[in-house]
Parts: sequence; C-alpha cells; structure tokens
Amino acid sequence: MSSDVRFTDFKSDKQPTWCPGCGDFGTMNGMMKALANTGNDPDNTFVVAGIGCSGKIGTYMHSYALHGVHGRALPVGTGVKMARPDIEVMVAGGDGDGYSIGAGHFVHAVRRNVDMSYVVMDNRIYGLTKGQASPTSRSDFETSTTPEGPKQPPVNPLALALASGATFIAQSFASDALRHQEIVQEAIEHDGFGFVNVFSPCVTFNDVDTYDYFRDTLVDLEEEDHDPTDYEAAKQVVLDSEKEYQGVMYRDETSVPYHEQHGVTEDMSDIPDEAPDDAMDLVREFY
Amino acid sequence: MAEDLNWAIGGEAGDGIDSTGKIFAQALSRAGRHVFTSKDFASRIRGGYTAYKIRTSVEDVQSVVDRLDILVALTQRTIDENLDELHEGSAIIYDGERSWEAEIPDEMTAVDVPLKSLAEDAGGAIMRNIVALGAACEITGFDVEYLDEALEKRFGGKGSKIVENNKEAARLGQEHVEENYDLDHLGYNLETTDEDYVLLNGNEAIGMGALAAGCRFYAGYPITPATTIMEYLTGRIEDYGGHVVQAEDELSAINMALGAARGGARAMTATSGAGIDLMTETFGLVATSETPLVITDVQRSGPSTGMPTKQEQGDLNMALYGGHGEVPRFIVAPTSITECFWKTVEAFNLAEKYQTPVFLVSDLAMSVTEQTFPPEAFDMDEVEIDRGKLVDEDEVDEWLDAQGRFRAHAVTEDGVSPRSIPGATDGAHMSTGLEHDELGRRTEDEDERVQQVDKRNRKVETAKEQEDWDYREFGDPDADNLVISWGSNEGALVEALGYLEEEDVDVRVISVPYIFPRPDLGEEIEAADDVVVVECNATGQFADVIEHDVLTRVKRINKYTGVRFKADELAEEITDKLTEEVPA
Ligand SMILES: Cc1ncc(C[n+]2csc(CCOP(=O)(O)OP(=O)(O)O)c2C)c(N)n1
Ligand code: SF4
Repeated sequence: MSSDVRFTDFKSDKQPTWCPGCGDFGTMNGMMKALANTGNDPDNTFVVAGIGCSGKIGTYMHSYALHGVHGRALPVGTGVKMARPDIEVMVAGGDGDGYSIGAGHFVHAVRRNVDMSYVVMDNRIYGLTKGQASPTSRSDFETSTTPEGPKQPPVNPLALALASGATFIAQSFASDALRHQEIVQEAIEHDGFGFVNVFSPCVTFNDVDTYDYFRDTLVDLEEEDHDPTDYEAAKQVVLDSEKEYQGVMYRDETSVPYHEQHGVTEDMSDIPDEAPDDAMDLVREFY
Repeated sequence: MAEDLNWAIGGEAGDGIDSTGKIFAQALSRAGRHVFTSKDFASRIRGGYTAYKIRTSVEDVQSVVDRLDILVALTQRTIDENLDELHEGSAIIYDGERSWEAEIPDEMTAVDVPLKSLAEDAGGAIMRNIVALGAACEITGFDVEYLDEALEKRFGGKGSKIVENNKEAARLGQEHVEENYDLDHLGYNLETTDEDYVLLNGNEAIGMGALAAGCRFYAGYPITPATTIMEYLTGRIEDYGGHVVQAEDELSAINMALGAARGGARAMTATSGAGIDLMTETFGLVATSETPLVITDVQRSGPSTGMPTKQEQGDLNMALYGGHGEVPRFIVAPTSITECFWKTVEAFNLAEKYQTPVFLVSDLAMSVTEQTFPPEAFDMDEVEIDRGKLVDEDEVDEWLDAQGRFRAHAVTEDGVSPRSIPGATDGAHMSTGLEHDELGRRTEDEDERVQQVDKRNRKVETAKEQEDWDYREFGDPDADNLVISWGSNEGALVEALGYLEEEDVDVRVISVPYIFPRPDLGEEIEAADDVVVVECNATGQFADVIEHDVLTRVKRINKYTGVRFKADELAEEITDKLTEEVPA
C-alpha cells in the first residue's frame, strides 16, 4: 500500500454509460476518494457490485472486483472478506438490488457485522429496467408498473438496519460531494458493517426525488447536534417520517466485527501444495 | 452364515437408534470386521419408525442384502416392518416387561431381555439400548471387550462413571441371555481379526477430502442429506485457518463461497434437492467469471421437497444442464465412500486448474452409509494440490496489456487464463457475469463474445486431453454382458457379481465416476451383446446420455422407490434384463 495513491487510481478507463447528470457519478467519486483517503489502493481493495445502473460502478472503478447477479452482492462481499481479512471490501448496489431481491441478505449481512462497507445508491426507482417502482418508491409514485403508485409504504432501510442490529448506519447525498465522501470514509473506517444509504437521483425516471428535492429538504445531522452513539437518538432519527437526514445516524463504538468474534483472521488464499502433515489424524478419528 | 451377519435395531425416532447402531458398528470395526451400515429414516407407514442396520463380515461387504439375522426391536412396528427380511434363524431381542406384547412368528427365536430394568440396575433407563447390545454380543459370540472399547470412545468425554455404567449395562444384558437362553443352535460365533479399520460415511469422506485438499471456506444452508458435510467441517476447518458459515439460504451460500474463491481460498458449498435449484442462479456467474468453485449436490428424492430422507439419483440432468445459457462445467460423481474422498480432492484441483465450477454429485445412500476401510485407503501422501494458473506478483507482469492492465480473461490456447487474487500488485481486475473482454469489461462486440465463449468451452477440450476421465471396472472384462452404473450403485453391483457367477451369468461392470466430461464407452458398448444401465431414477438420465453418446439403445434398470439397490435384488434384475429384447 503506497501513500501516493490518488483517487484517480481507482478509476478504470471505461467511460460510464450513465445518463448525464445521474447521481451515480457523484456517488462513485466519493467512494473512490474515500477509499484513497483511508489508505487503500486498487490491489488491496475488492469492490463487489450489484445489478442495476448502480451496479455498473464496478466497471468504472479499478480494483479487484466482481459484478455478480442481482441482489447477491452482499454474500459475495462476505465471502471475500472472510477469506481475506487483509483486504478492504466494499459492496455497492441499488435500492432494488439491495432492498428488494437482496433484502434477505441485507438483514443477515447487517447482523453478521462483517467488516466491510455497503453503499446503496438509492434513487427510489429501477433505473436499468427503465422506470419501475422500487422498494423505496413513495406509495403514490406513479411508474410503468404502478400507474397509481405502489400503494404500499416504502421500505425504510435505515430502520431495517437498526432493527437488524446494525453497528453503523448513515445516509448521504451524491451531490453533497464532501459530506458524502466523509460519510463513506467513516463507514470504511468503522470496525464492522458500515452501511450508507446514498440518495443518488435518477434524472431520467424519477422526477420526484430529484436533486432539488434533496437539496431543499435534506437535514444534516451535523447541524442537529445528533449523537450517533446514542441508540435512542438513532431510533428517533431513522423512524422520523417528517424529515430526511444525511450524516451518521448510528455508530456502535463497541462493535466487534465478525472476524474477531469468530476468530477468522487467516489469509485463506495461502494453502500448502499437499495435504497437511497431520492429515492422517483426520482419518484416525474414524477408528 | 455365521460369517456374514445382518443386525438391526429399530424403534421410534428419538429412541437413540442411530447412536446405538453406531456404537455397535464401531465395536465390530474395532474387532477387525468389515461393516456396512444403512438407515431407515421413515417408512412405508406413517410415523416415526427408524432403524439402523449393520451388515458385518470378515470379508469386504459393500451392500445391503435382504436378510436380517438379529433384530433389536424396541417396538412391534420394528418387527412388522422387517418381516420380509427375517427368517427362521433370526433372533429378536425385545423387552417383555414393556407394555407391548411382542408378536414374534413362531419359527424365530424370541429373546426376552428386561432392557429397561437391567439398565436401571446399571444406573439409568437411558442405557436400555446398551443392554440390548450386550445381549447381542452374547447371542453372536462376539467379544464384549470390543463393545467396551466403543463405549469408551463414545462416552469417554462424559466421564468414567458414565463409561463404567454403560459397560455394566452391556454386561447385564450379556449375562441375562447367558443365564436364560441356550442359543447354540443359532450357530453364531463372530470371528475377529487383527485388521485396523476406520468407519465413516460418504459425507464425512467428502469433508475429509475437502480438508486434505486445502479447502478453507465453506458456506451452506442446512438440508438433508448434505448437512453432515457442514457439521463435519465445522469445528475441524478452523484447525487449518478456515471457516464455515451457515448462510441465510442457498443463494447466499453459493455467493459467499464464490466470494471466498475470488479472494483466493479453496471454497466449497454443498446442498441437495431444493437447494441446488436455488444455487442454479449462480452457476453461470461462477463459470463466466471463471471462478474455481466446488459445488456438492448430495442427491435425494425429488422433485420439489420429494422424499427428503430417501435415495435417488435424479439430479444428473440438473448438473448437466442447470442454469441458463451455455456454461462449461465439470461433473464428478464418486462411486464409493473412498471415492467421495478422492473425487473431492480432484474436484478442487479441477476447479482451480480450469477456473470453472465443478459439481461433485453424490447421493443420499452414500452419504448416510458407514463403511469400514483400511486407513491407507485415504493415504494423505497421495494427495496433490494443483492451483493451476494462479499467478504471483512477478508472473502478473507477463499478462499485462500495453496500458499495464491485467488480462484476467486473456484468450489463451488452452482456454485457461491467468488468475490473480487480491493483494497481487498490478493484478487488479474486474470479473463479471456480463459478457466481457479480456480485461473483464463488459462487451457486446461479436468477435469478443465469440472469443470468450470459445475460450471458456476450450477448457473442457483441454481437460479432456490432460486429465484422466477413466472408469472403474469389475467382473469379467471379456463378458458379453455389460452393466454400466454411476454413483453409489457400484458396491451393490460388485456384490451382485458374486450372485451372478453362481448362476453362470458373466458380466462386466463399468462404474463411471465422471459425468462431464465422461469416458467414451463406444468401444465397450460395441463389444458387448447386451448393455444395461443401472441407476436410481425413473427416467434413466445416465442411460439417455450414453445413448446419445454412442447412438445405440441400451437396456435400463431403474429404481426410484427411495431405497438403494440391494446386491441380491440387482443380480436378479440383471438376469431378467439380459433375456429381454433391446428396446426398439
Ligand atoms: C434475477 C434478475 N431479475 C431481474 C433482473 C432485471 N433487473 C436488472 S436491474 C434491476 C433493478 C435495478 O434497480 P436498482 O437496484 O434500484 O438499481 P438502479 O438501476 O436504479 O441503479 C432489475 C429488476 C435481473 N438482472 N436479474
Ligand atoms: S436511468 Fe437513472 S439511474 Fe440509470 S443511469 Fe440514467 S439517470 Fe442514472
């Protein structure tokens, strides 16, 4: 790991095919800067991407990476981190990817508290499949598959995370570049599962949850005197139906990541070229 | 008959049937006798009937037969369920003091042992099955010292008092029979030998193979009959710096294993039935991202939830064709418990050498059957680990393009690209389930698409040339009758040869451990007058594949009752089949 890593080292030479103005540009920039600022380089970083416009992020970044199947990015990230506690693992995807098809995995990744970060680009719509309702779409949000709105309340990913035993919960906004980057950085530095829900507007299919909307309404927790280590305060913030916040909602300072609890500390890629010396003991167990 | 003894204990689920059976099996194994066990979990009638059966001989035994010599019956149901297999010389141990009045056919020998009261005399009713084991020792003339050894092994961890009580229970059972019965007419006198054997089942052999091969990460979701692989690895893999995760479902399990493999670990997942369906989603990703992964399917009766505790070999088509699109894969199917070990080792090597999923397809019968082997059958010195084209820091340089980017999916002659894992400087790259170029970047370019598809498929061609895809062979190599089998049927077939010989039926048996690629059986089939394919499924999935390969019709023996083939039954069926017309 060299100290002269620049965030552009995390950039691939593939030009993004995102729509001009898509929030994912800002989200990605912040992620790359956060990785560089926390002392990582592409050769010790593994990025797992979901499926969706958001999931394309793996292609535009440069690091060890896997772009998997829809909704399963978290299990892949979990596997990488368990095999390689020495490697920085970041998982990224969309709200559909993470809270719909992948919702089950989300709950379990949260409670496992594997030491990795999870960045969800929440645009409250399915972008890649061209504008269907997502689990975070408002109940009256009209889309091609919900002409009168989904008529069901949106998933609250922050509350879901808190209820599942999260040790780090944050929310950021793609266009507030500095804050977004700081928040992702904190997620990386957190000892455990660092979850960041990023408002990353879809300029093509969502004309409700726009840049202007978030710019006008988003409340920064830094200005609210919020103490992220206070669980009760965190509860109030994540369940607040009146306001939307950016910042770190909850941080459990006593968090013990999975690998420490389970003693998973070895580099599992390092295996001998023959059966271990004492392997016959495995057989003798069956005497 | 004194040599080849069939013993069973049966009762309600929860009666400790399994552990009692296992203790006796271990005692016999310690005494240098061969052991082959089988289990009835559920039965034709509803309810909790369960039985543990042991066949034991000083000669090698590889199959179950339709005969039961000594039965410990904890319920009437146990007797009723096994009437077909009981015979005149059978002895039935039961507890006459219990509330049920045992109905035992006159011609059989009823051995009434007050199991419960004797167990209480020894220190607790819980040991009533051990009293029965003591009684069984007396009936069979089996040295109770070996039973003592097995009890020490089983209860040693719980303190010497428990061990002594159990030994006492066995002794009381033995004495009761000695004092009250004269059973010389049954003629049992179980011989012992100086041989050292180990006793294990197929899933344990797979787990052991995984550890020997350097598997460090296992993720799974509990399902019968695959779970015991996970249970075996849990608590042992840590000794080698590895870890087992019980995932939230099979989708997660296979993706975790894939992640660990991307991290450079040797990784495996295992499942059965409904779980393999879920894992199918990720088959293509594993193959396309060129990730080495061992996916084990311990088959059970399907479809859907089918018969979870019953035998079947119904997933061959799933392994061959599961997943959308066209995906290169290897399918290895162990044919015996020792092969469960060796094929697991081989599966890990194939996965890394060719950077593609390897299906290890086993079945329920093999997974629950315990069998004795000389420990050398699992000689760890023979284990070789080949990590394929895993490139280190220095070698990475050879695979960079003009811009210094690592060509992780480089189009090579043998179809296998270099592989770098996290941490290797300059080896950073992206892999994806999307079609991609040499750098792993998405492409829809026609040429690149074709190059990548061909490249991946070329692995199979390369492997066909470089690896040994041979079969195992038994019986008379020059016989006109050829029987082909895959999976756990091998043992029963080998024994069936003995019966067939008595009938003067010459048979050559070919047992195939590779489903894809598989040995070319064209010549063998051509040379035979009659070809019969034996498998535990209704439609003959392997027979279909063989017919397709050689463009010749074969005869089929299919069993899909949920119960594995028995040697004597198989011999009869083969004889019948050989006289049948070849299907048009
Ligand atoms: C199993 C499966 N089902 C459906 C799809 C189609 N699909 C691709 S992306 C997507 C939704 C993406 O939504 P989101 O995660 O919100 O990402 P966005 O495109 O908005 O960034 C769907 C349903 C798929 N790729 N795989
Ligand atoms: S469709 Fe929406 S989410 Fe997708 S790239 Fe365009 S703006 Fe971004």
